[in-house]
Amino acid sequence: MAHFTIENLTFAYPEAGKNALQDVSLQIQEGEYLVLIGKSGSGKSTLLRHLKTALTPHGVRSGRVLFSGKPLEEAGLREQSAKIGYVMQDPDSQIVTDKVWHELAFGLESLGCDQRTMRLRVAEMASYFGIQDWFHRDVAELSGGQKQLLNLASIMAMQPEVLILDEPTSQLDPIAAADFLNTVRKINLELGTTVILSEHRLEEVFPAADRVAVLEEGRLMALDTPRGIGRRLRAEGSDMVAALPAPMRIFYGAEGGGECPLTVREGRSWLSREMEGRPVCRETPPAPLEEIPAADAAVVLKEVWFRYEKDAPDVLRGVNLQVPRGSLFAVVGGNGAGKSTMLKAICHICRPYRGKVLLEGRKVEKYRPDELFQGMLAMLPQDPKTLFVKKTVREELLEMLPGRGGEEREERVLKIAAELQVADLLAQHPYDLSGGEQQRAALAKVLLLEPKILLLDEPTKGIDSFYKKTLAEILAGLKRKGVTILLVSHDIEFCAQYADAVAMFFDGGVVTANTPGRFFAENSFYTTAANRMSRHLFPYAVTADDVIRRVCESRGEGKERIRRGERQ
Amino acid sequence: MRFDSYHPAINLFFFAAVIAGTVLFNHPVFLGLSFLCSFAYAAKLRGRRAAGFGLALAPCILLFALFYAGYTHFGVTVLAKNFIGNNLTLESFVYGMVLGTMAASVLLWLSCMNAIFTGDKVVYLFGRVSPRLSLFLSLCLRMVPRLGERARETGAAQRGIGRGLNQGGLFRRIGNFFRMASILVTWTIENRMEAAASMRCRGVTLRGRSALSIYRFDYRDRSLVIAFSGLAAVLLTGFFFDQMRILYNPEIIFNRITPASYIFYLAYGIFCLLPLALQMCGEWRWKRRARQTADEMGA
Repeated sequence: MAHFTIENLTFAYPEAGKNALQDVSLQIQEGEYLVLIGKSGSGKSTLLRHLKTALTPHGVRSGRVLFSGKPLEEAGLREQSAKIGYVMQDPDSQIVTDKVWHELAFGLESLGCDQRTMRLRVAEMASYFGIQDWFHRDVAELSGGQKQLLNLASIMAMQPEVLILDEPTSQLDPIAAADFLNTVRKINLELGTTVILSEHRLEEVFPAADRVAVLEEGRLMALDTPRGIGRRLRAEGSDMVAALPAPMRIFYGAEGGGECPLTVREGRSWLSREMEGRPVCRETPPAPLEEIPAADAAVVLKEVWFRYEKDAPDVLRGVNLQVPRGSLFAVVGGNGAGKSTMLKAICHICRPYRGKVLLEGRKVEKYRPDELFQGMLAMLPQDPKTLFVKKTVREELLEMLPGRGGEEREERVLKIAAELQVADLLAQHPYDLSGGEQQRAALAKVLLLEPKILLLDEPTKGIDSFYKKTLAEILAGLKRKGVTILLVSHDIEFCAQYADAVAMFFDGGVVTANTPGRFFAENSFYTTAANRMSRHLFPYAVTADDVIRRVCESRGEGKERIRRGERQ
Repeated sequence: MRFDSYHPAINLFFFAAVIAGTVLFNHPVFLGLSFLCSFAYAAKLRGRRAAGFGLALAPCILLFALFYAGYTHFGVTVLAKNFIGNNLTLESFVYGMVLGTMAASVLLWLSCMNAIFTGDKVVYLFGRVSPRLSLFLSLCLRMVPRLGERARETGAAQRGIGRGLNQGGLFRRIGNFFRMASILVTWTIENRMEAAASMRCRGVTLRGRSALSIYRFDYRDRSLVIAFSGLAAVLLTGFFFDQMRILYNPEIIFNRITPASYIFYLAYGIFCLLPLALQMCGEWRWKRRARQTADEMGA
């Protein structure tokens, strides 16, 4: 039986020019795992919010939503609270109480369950999700991944029939995200709970999904099995192909034969079959990172030690780092390894108790604060919202240029807005923008300081693959102007594709730094999906494009063909 | 082993009773007992710093008494005259000591209470009365530290673009302060909206809310209640015999100290020391058990 039936749903937000949803019809079967994909702003959240009355936005609506065969509104608040679980994006703001156990019991308390039932359900949930060890803790002590798992558990405690998740992993690091999505998969398989999930990290969800729905500008563009979706997007030449998992992208880019692989494992065996009997040229390893003279380094860290409090453990334990001038330097590493702290030490927000930080050959503490942050250095924080002060993006940007002539200020703002592709957003409130747009607006703000050295803290967090591309273009533009960019990130794929050099941060220090080709080829776990899939044949292929190029070359195909494949 | 392993209602009863006793009983013996017991318990619970704090309070009591005697002049036993001719009396000095000791003891008891009676116990006890009120408290307990955390984060982000609280001249700094306040206000509003959505999703507006209790009232709690009640009964008797209150104005007048009085002193001492004694006893038994286990292993 259909669990949810959406019939010709059209919806427009008040005072919006166009419809956010346009004639969407969709049936979701009981026990199904449905993934909703689409660029940000395509109406994914709006559609999901229509599946729960308590969250349905105000606006003009036509069409209807049926839940288990009857209109959704007819299911009362009590029924909806218990049967339809909803997990939102931000792990932090969904948690409302101060203790883990209280959060787990929250829904049951609302339903007015008695002590016995509550105790049992809470115990059950804590054991199923493996959170019995932190049952008595303050929620503030949990990591982002643990928080999101707690949100999921506190909803599952009400034993819902449907689980709706709106980009639940966008704020998590890749390891926590994979963990979370595995749990969702487990719930779907073991309990038969219907799962409706919107995501932009498709590597994990594509192999798990029964069906995938693609939204584009509020319309349901396609609805099919994951492989069918791949085929259709490819046939239509949609730019959504760029968001597909790496094995699929390589398969379509190289125009492979047979069934399209979804996972790295399938990708490996497909590639082996594809390459059978063809010569694999011995590859020469790409050039390693050259040692540069200290004079060519924009940022130098020499054995920097730092701790937050006198008796706290060291966060930075003798960090050594050299960032060549005018390069895009990426530092990758696990959660809480101290990457952000390192950036703060470079900005002199955290003051190291030992070691030296040199900016353009001069000690950072020798700079006057005005000098340092005017035309020298700027940092884009992890959460762009911590920078927004004003009511519109235009005012946001203007406020960075105090006391200059009106005309000139206006001009500079327009120029930077055009560069960062936020020119259409100038009249909007910064909080109304999507994650990627906020990121760009914040970057525009930071760039008005005209830094020579730009520090970025997790710039790809919560951004979909299209915005990542835009961000990469913007960063490339800055690099051409001679700006040195140092970014710290979990996002291996992004760093592999766009960085000039990648360093691994572990245990309070930089373990190794190298060019992406070398760096990822030397790792076997901490590396890109494309590399894991092809390393048995092409040890130095790091990105999907690298693999496509090598497959095409081995077939003896021409440059034109290769370029076409890479465009995918 | 600590007193907080008992049921929160007992924790609340003990601290309410002992603070009430400290405020109501102005007999020097009882006040002294209260001060000494609270000092010992605070030192045990919070370590050296609490002990230092308690010791520092003692000269403060004396100073307060001197100050009090300098400003109030009731009483008949004149010790001296000050330079404008007012009497400095024994009664007012002693009463100053009494007030000072009372305040110091209450402070020490509160510091013990702070260590034992944590936020989730308050939430739990309120939950017994009104689940909604307890939810509200719990929300506050989450929100307030989070706002602090966010303020730190925002501060660091603002410093990263040269707009921090400690950057620039005085006027810039004031401006930066207001910027930060404004950012935090916007964030709080936005954040509360999301939290409200998350609560609506989980049916917060439904009628008939209940509250989960993670505490159980067991036999150990019951026996402690019996002990407390017995001691409280003895103390109430004493109170009705006017053993705990004395007059300071105009003259120090108190009931005769009889052998029975010692019973009341003893009862009060036991009452105040019971949590500390239970903790130490528990620790001692633990050590003995560990030693025995070690011996058995050795043998």
